[in-house]
Amino acid sequence: MTSGFGAFGVQTGLFFQRKLFETLRQPVWIITGLTTPVLYLALFAPLLRSLAGGPAFPPGQVLDVFVPGIMVLIAFGAGMGAGWPIIWELDSGVIERFRVTPASRLALLLGTVLRDIVMFVVPGVVVVAVGGAFGYHVHWGGLVLLFVLLALLTAACSATSSALGLKLKQIGSLAAVVTGAQLPLTLLAGILLPLSLGPTWLRVLGHINPMYYAVQAARALAAGTVASGTVGVGFLVTAAIAGLALWWGTRAYQRAMA
Amino acid sequence: MSAPPVPAVKVSGLRKSFRVAGTVIEAVSGIELTVPAGEMFGLLGPNGAGKTTTLRILTTLLPADAGSALVAGADVLRAPALVRQRIGYVGQLGGADKEGTGRENLMLTGRLYGLSAADAKRRCAELLAVFDLDTLADRAVRTYSGGQRRRLEVALGIMHRPQVLFLDEPTTGLDPQNRANLWEQLRLLREGGTSIFLTTHYLDEADQLCDRVAIVDHGRVIALGSPDSLKQRYSGDTIAVTSEASPAVLDEVARSLADDPSIAALAVEDGTIRVTARDATQAMAAVFGALASRGVPTRAASVARPSLDDVFLRETGRSLRDAGTPALGIAAEVAA
Repeated sequence: MTSGFGAFGVQTGLFFQRKLFETLRQPVWIITGLTTPVLYLALFAPLLRSLAGGPAFPPGQVLDVFVPGIMVLIAFGAGMGAGWPIIWELDSGVIERFRVTPASRLALLLGTVLRDIVMFVVPGVVVVAVGGAFGYHVHWGGLVLLFVLLALLTAACSATSSALGLKLKQIGSLAAVVTGAQLPLTLLAGILLPLSLGPTWLRVLGHINPMYYAVQAARALAAGTVASGTVGVGFLVTAAIAGLALWWGTRAYQRAMA
Repeated sequence: MSAPPVPAVKVSGLRKSFRVAGTVIEAVSGIELTVPAGEMFGLLGPNGAGKTTTLRILTTLLPADAGSALVAGADVLRAPALVRQRIGYVGQLGGADKEGTGRENLMLTGRLYGLSAADAKRRCAELLAVFDLDTLADRAVRTYSGGQRRRLEVALGIMHRPQVLFLDEPTTGLDPQNRANLWEQLRLLREGGTSIFLTTHYLDEADQLCDRVAIVDHGRVIALGSPDSLKQRYSGDTIAVTSEASPAVLDEVARSLADDPSIAALAVEDGTIRVTARDATQAMAAVFGALASRGVPTRAASVARPSLDDVFLRETGRSLRDAGTPALGIAAEVAA
């Protein structure tokens, strides 16, 4: 028999492959996954051009502020969709069957998480390429770290959504919770428009939102600032949230009942 | 694989409660069971009797509140990983990935149990042939018929050649032909040395398929034994013999049989002797003997076998067909 760690790696790979197939069988998702971020760039960015030179947008850098925002949005969306298929899998007994095998519960969770990271990275690369063509300044070192940071954010969202799906067990409840959380979380993170535009109370609320730190770090990294406190705090907060979410998701798989 | 010397299942004092809508329902209240290796064992009872909850505890899906359960020699609570390696499970929901193909489902399952890709491939081909799924192997499971899907799900359950296979209501929703087919597959598996533990609410399934049956009601085992011994113990076979004897001779025959140890009760109606037998063969011989010794020819004889429903009726005062509190029972088994 394979050693514990080797088996864990194999299982993670198997679940990852399974989830990837699940996505590839649904070309609609792939198409919207790629077009939505590009549409944001095409339709929303022109609106911001008139703001260029304003308080939040240094001259000529509208896309530099906006592109990392879209990237965070993609990461959030890629992760938060994880719960829906999990509820179908609960209903059809697939998860119950996996839970009776010796497979690691963390591997089961990581299959989804890794697939969602792919679902962030691919459109993310497209956005950077398209944004770059329209004047976004690519800073290579920062960009690589940006992808790492947002992969962590995707993992946090994916594991959270998985845990929510396993706990709530119903599409309706999951949809209510996820959409309910989406607006305050994204708005108070300053994803589309920087929070520095808002009044003090809004900025205070933003500081309670863990995603705010990821967005701040993402903007710094996109601008090529690697060695800064903002980036460090962003990584720390996001990694901590991802760790907590993975722990919660694993626990949810251990206890799942359908 | 030779049958292991340890019992397939050994359960003692098992308890599990659920809180449903504010009230606590004890789904399993002190179940005791030992199933020797190699046996086809059935848990028979109405909906809500605690069958599924018991199965979930034995398959490591649900922790018990109290009591102990050893499956294939491993403790369900203390060594769940060992139990999982040794058992197969076919749940009520099935659990095949409907978007994937039959082959993909089997391969993934084999690999999850630690089979190498080559071994999984070999085993997959073997099972596809055994379960007559060859031609469907590369089609999405959602295109399978109910019977085909069930066969795949059983194949998934035995991909890693488990010592004990658990099945939860395996034939519910199947037509008679698919049902018979599945029974045959299960019998073959048992002949191959796999212990089988299933739940059912079908009397005939427990009766015809299982070596031994535990009848459960309200989370307790109310009767345990082979279907024949249960029926015998709780209500013997009924023998009816019609002869050409006169009423006077019949009375004499009845008196002579009154003390026969194989006969539990005897009555004479309209020239027919009706006997509730402790041992049908002996009782039949005794009745025939008593008639023959008086030179009375027999016109007709019949033996009516009792059903497991008679056993349930005797123990609970309800018929198994009417028993059960589906809504509550299912809620209790689903909640947690």
